[in-house]
Amino acid sequence: MDPITFSIIRHRLYRVVEEAVITLKHVSGSAITNEGHDLMVSLYEADGTLLLGGVGFLHHLTSAAEACKSIIRRFEGDVHEGDLFLLNDPFTAALHTSDIYLVSPIHYKGELIAWSACFVHVYDIGAMNPGGFAPDAQDVFSEGFSSPGLKIVDRGNLRQDVWDTILNMVRGPEMVALDLRSMIACNNVAKDRMVALVEKYGLPTFQETCKSLVAQSESRLRERLRELPDGSWQSRQYFDVKGEVYKVLLKMTKVDDELTFDFTGSSPQSKYSVNCTKWASLGGLFAPLFPLLCYDITWNEGVIRPIKVIAPEGSIVNCTKPSPVSVATVGAIQSVNNAACTTIAKMLASHDKYADQTSAVWHANHFAVFMFGKNQKGGDSIGILTETFAGAGGARTFADGVDIGGEIPNPISRMANVETVEAMFPVRYLFRRRLKDSGGGGEFRGGTGGELALIPHDAPDGGLNYVLSGKGSKFPQSEGLDGGNPGAINDYVWVHSEDSKDGHDCFSQSLSAIPGEKESISWGVFPLMGNDALYVRWNGGGGVGDSLDRIPGAVLTDVTNSLISPEAAREIYGVVITDNQVDEVKTEELRNSLRSERINKKVEQK
Amino acid sequence: MSTRQSATLIISDGFTCCAKCSASIGPAGQPWKHLTAVSVTKVSELPGSTSSTHQSVEIRHFSCPKCSALLDSETALPEDPFLDDVISN
Amino acid sequence: MKTAKSYLVATDVGGTCTDTVVFTVGEPVILGKALSTPPDFATGVLDSIKSAADQMGITVSELLANTSLFVHGSTVVDNAILTRDGAKVGLLTTEGFEDTLLVTRGGYGRWAGLTEERMKNMVKTDRAKPLVERNLIHGVPERTDYKGSIIRELDESSARESIKKLIDDGVDAIAISYLWSFYNQKNEIRTQEIIKEINPQIYTSISSNIAPTPGEYERTSTTVINAYAGEIARQYIENLAELMKNNGYLGPVMIMQGYGGLLLASEASDRAIGMLECGPAAGVIGSKALGDLLNQKDVIATDMGGTTFKVSVIQGGQIEYAREPMIDRFHYTQPKIEVVSIGAGGGSIVWIEEETKIPRVGPRSAGSRPGPVCYGMGGEEPTLTDVFMLIGYMDPNIFLGGSMNLDKEAARKVFDAKIAKPLGLSVEEAAYGIFRIATAQITDLIREITVERGLDPRDFVMHAFGGSCGMVSATFGAELGVKKIVIPYTAAVNCAFGLISADIVHEYSVVKTLQMPSPLSEFPPLFEPMREKALKTLAAEGFTGDQVVLDWSVDLRYSRQVHEVTTPLKAPLPLTSDGLEILSRDFESLYERKYGKGSAFREAGIEMTQFRLTARGLLNHPDMSAAKTVGEDSSAALTGRRKIFVEAKSAMIESDIYDFTLLNPGNVIKGPAVIHTPITTIVLQDNQKSVMDQYRNIIIELG
Repeated sequence: MDPITFSIIRHRLYRVVEEAVITLKHVSGSAITNEGHDLMVSLYEADGTLLLGGVGFLHHLTSAAEACKSIIRRFEGDVHEGDLFLLNDPFTAALHTSDIYLVSPIHYKGELIAWSACFVHVYDIGAMNPGGFAPDAQDVFSEGFSSPGLKIVDRGNLRQDVWDTILNMVRGPEMVALDLRSMIACNNVAKDRMVALVEKYGLPTFQETCKSLVAQSESRLRERLRELPDGSWQSRQYFDVKGEVYKVLLKMTKVDDELTFDFTGSSPQSKYSVNCTKWASLGGLFAPLFPLLCYDITWNEGVIRPIKVIAPEGSIVNCTKPSPVSVATVGAIQSVNNAACTTIAKMLASHDKYADQTSAVWHANHFAVFMFGKNQKGGDSIGILTETFAGAGGARTFADGVDIGGEIPNPISRMANVETVEAMFPVRYLFRRRLKDSGGGGEFRGGTGGELALIPHDAPDGGLNYVLSGKGSKFPQSEGLDGGNPGAINDYVWVHSEDSKDGHDCFSQSLSAIPGEKESISWGVFPLMGNDALYVRWNGGGGVGDSLDRIPGAVLTDVTNSLISPEAAREIYGVVITDNQVDEVKTEELRNSLRSERINKKVEQK
Repeated sequence: MSTRQSATLIISDGFTCCAKCSASIGPAGQPWKHLTAVSVTKVSELPGSTSSTHQSVEIRHFSCPKCSALLDSETALPEDPFLDDVISN
Repeated sequence: MKTAKSYLVATDVGGTCTDTVVFTVGEPVILGKALSTPPDFATGVLDSIKSAADQMGITVSELLANTSLFVHGSTVVDNAILTRDGAKVGLLTTEGFEDTLLVTRGGYGRWAGLTEERMKNMVKTDRAKPLVERNLIHGVPERTDYKGSIIRELDESSARESIKKLIDDGVDAIAISYLWSFYNQKNEIRTQEIIKEINPQIYTSISSNIAPTPGEYERTSTTVINAYAGEIARQYIENLAELMKNNGYLGPVMIMQGYGGLLLASEASDRAIGMLECGPAAGVIGSKALGDLLNQKDVIATDMGGTTFKVSVIQGGQIEYAREPMIDRFHYTQPKIEVVSIGAGGGSIVWIEEETKIPRVGPRSAGSRPGPVCYGMGGEEPTLTDVFMLIGYMDPNIFLGGSMNLDKEAARKVFDAKIAKPLGLSVEEAAYGIFRIATAQITDLIREITVERGLDPRDFVMHAFGGSCGMVSATFGAELGVKKIVIPYTAAVNCAFGLISADIVHEYSVVKTLQMPSPLSEFPPLFEPMREKALKTLAAEGFTGDQVVLDWSVDLRYSRQVHEVTTPLKAPLPLTSDGLEILSRDFESLYERKYGKGSAFREAGIEMTQFRLTARGLLNHPDMSAAKTVGEDSSAALTGRRKIFVEAKSAMIESDIYDFTLLNPGNVIKGPAVIHTPITTIVLQDNQKSVMDQYRNIIIELG
């Protein structure tokens, strides 16, 4: 393969995806797509082989590939130029029903040469709760419209009957229509640009480049794996739904140039909608693998080939139909993701060359809060608190984690301004800031999470309701690395106030200062009415290394900046601060005594 | 001649050793955590935890029995075994 | 000394060079150039003016004494940010939102401004170190709501305490940014007064003045940048005015703004933020002026210098503005002409990616020192310039008008060892390949920024500015399918040329959300105060009657959508319901053009969110006099033949070589050919035809 043409076509393929993403965001115009970057566009070869995964929500790269393959099987002999297919069934390929895939065949001179696929989290999918997450769904049938493959555009003509049927089943049909239109436009752009590319370079050259691109990724990953020592690494994640504890257990084994991820020992499937289908687990596994292990390798099928996955059927990482799965994307999938992040980081840490490519776990738990109700203009609003896209960065071996810095599986997300939210919903923030003592302790501290409090403001109905699929309030899940502590946990507090006074004069600056009874909540639909408040705190990133090795000056700065408490400085970091200065002598003494406590505090062996 | 096992451990002469003091922890290629000094902290007792925190979950710290260097940590329920990380070649 | 003339002098301080253009009616445009001399830019400014004056045979004082207008653009503010050389800033926010600036809307500030390659390696991504430290940020008890109602009065004693603490901590400047202050600036104003009461020496910036737009993160970031560089800008402008005065200049000093208009020095000195990226903005103004002259309404303006390739778009005679501008890696919100760039310039280093064996161009640059290998100044890494040399586009003997000889053999040797051999290709083959990669990257960038706006490059004329652009423009212009390419006579001093083409421009805006349609009585209270303010300001600057142009526009969006489109208000004021109808229709067609077919979302209704006035005071501009055209015959300028790379043939082909200085308007040249100008080189590809127009621009017709 001529390296020059290869280089140009590779660059062009990236641009195809980029242009398609721009189109998706432009036409959709929604906050979750534009602010949260909760979207994905990828290109596939004619047989559904992932050719190029874009920088979107990475959980979807492998699932959308399966969606393509599944459409190819289901519609064999009935795939025509100008067709467009919809798929959102989690047991066929999707992650959950509200992330709809639109999959488009790309033809050149009558021949099928490639596919494009994209997704957005649609405004609503007709599940029992607004917005797509249905925490109390008993099965997938209560989680809204779902299709294992549906032709929505037939040879360039929109199938109005299909269109009308889908929109007949959802809340805010005009918003869902716009989401669908954005995906149609996105696929059309991808298709046009791909055809132009083939037109310029010729089909044989194009196809050869695609093959080389995939082969190159495969050989580079295998080469990297061979550089690393053989071995096996384990990770474990706990999470809780309504008092039931679930576990995701992962053993990753590397032999020569292959990696096996084995989830044997994970909990049985749940009655709650946190389950993953096997496609969701696969996506959750690859999402961190791409940026952590393949940060400089093109993300495509070549990266998938050296990887094997074992996920026992009937478990929380491979549930059977009709288990509910609508909360999967902020449920078990994140645990898969976190566990994979940890085992990959441990493996990379075993080689000097890759030591600075390791990271503790970022943003282990989303905190999906979907608000719904009448807004201050009298219209209906459904929308997610986009702070959930602004998690905490895990610490690295050379730097602290990025405070409220994002998450690994969605490399370019962001959150909305407070002013944007207050303009769209009848709520007022009391505060939104970094959360003290949330970053996992370590020589390098995990990034902090955040905390916010909301009260109703100018709501025509006196307030709103919200769907809460809130995991992560019982177990820390942002695991540390090289001895670092995990980041702190989430919490969701409903403050009930019987006081009938107008909530306007509440300007409390902490949870404890907000008047009313505080109740920790995590699962279901709750009111934010009258003088209620909703307090959310979200998890910090994991730390790296020994907290007792952290430079005392850095600990002092963190205390000064209210990122850690003086107690944490003493108990976790062994730093004594007097009069805003590090007491070096006492710090040394304290650290020594904490170290000796470690080796003298014998515990029962496992 | 030693090779790296992790940020805190090296493999030397067939043994997994503390990278800081070179003390041998146990035979290479085998689980080693049970041969370290283990200290356990309840997550609920850490600064930054909340009243929602699960009462049993703990952080286990594994340290070099000789020099007390921290070798690894993990989050666990008390009934669950140590997580094993092993380099086999 | 000659008789008194009324000169227009424009000086643009860029990162490397300070350019000057001197213009007066009836005389040729004089171009001056000198090296920039940061941090004390004054020397470079004087050197540059002197270089122009020298050509005119007069002294700087003689030139300036006969100058009626001095126009200036400078990178001084950019420089202060890039080198972290600004003030120690304190920040006051609404209590509870102290971290807003530092957490940059989550990952946004971590990934924004990075290439996709760097974004993908997340473990290595970080925010830039902030311009204000956390311990110098204080929350103040106060609150305004989304309607602009103050629901918590400013706690003055608490504010006073915070201010005193900041001053004790040694801040030189204080930025104030409260929630919703753009709807109600009372609390910010009062806080500013308190600072003045405590210490009038402290530089202050308030967000409702500096960036009165929704979105507290961007507004705060903008205000902090302004506070950070405010004193530097103020002193710079004062010193500049002083310098001009001491050298005999008696007229007004005008400062270029990033939105492409000029402000009087006295006004500009309060708004450091306005000077950000004003040089590239001037370049776009220059391109627009050229387009107006040549009757070209749709222009893709490209500029390729030593380190970057820059591109911007003029559509229907309208300049495009940036949506999410950044300086370094800091966001700011301020009308700013959109100029997008990639690291592909003459000095860009050509290298081979170790892991994939794929050849790459840039973004690293060899700069001017050591520069490309062929400069012979110690450069050991092959650059694009070396490639241009190897494929016959540059003549080793007549670089920069013959003032510098180039070492072709050294370039060949290094390129062979570092690029050709590892690729298993001959030097020529590899060089062709690199040339193609570079032009493909440029093509892709231009396609991206045009497509992003729903534009088709085939509807555009391309302007090619900068030292390296003429060698590649024929190739990427043809691939994009633009109608024609113009390589302007002023290509090398484009930004300075843009300065003399600009007008005085004041931007005003009010934020208010109104449904479409709204009662007509809603509008005069929004528009009239802006009009009054603008007319008063312009009158004070000496503009009245015909010299004043007021352009109104409104930001609109579909309800529940995030994209706003600034739509020109074509109907006269006061607005009638017909006028509103026209505005609404214009918005819809602009929206679909920008965001694509099917993106309009009428079901949700339309909202107006911001009302804008652009008030211009028109200046006298260069009236380029057209020369007479002579015949098509260009043989008098033919200086020889040599082999150059012809893309369509993938080979070195013997081609005609021309001397630009010997060409006359009307002369036609057929490609493949090379035209050497004193500072740059123009390449015509196979089957392309160019003509020198009446203004000595080279036009390549592609249509």
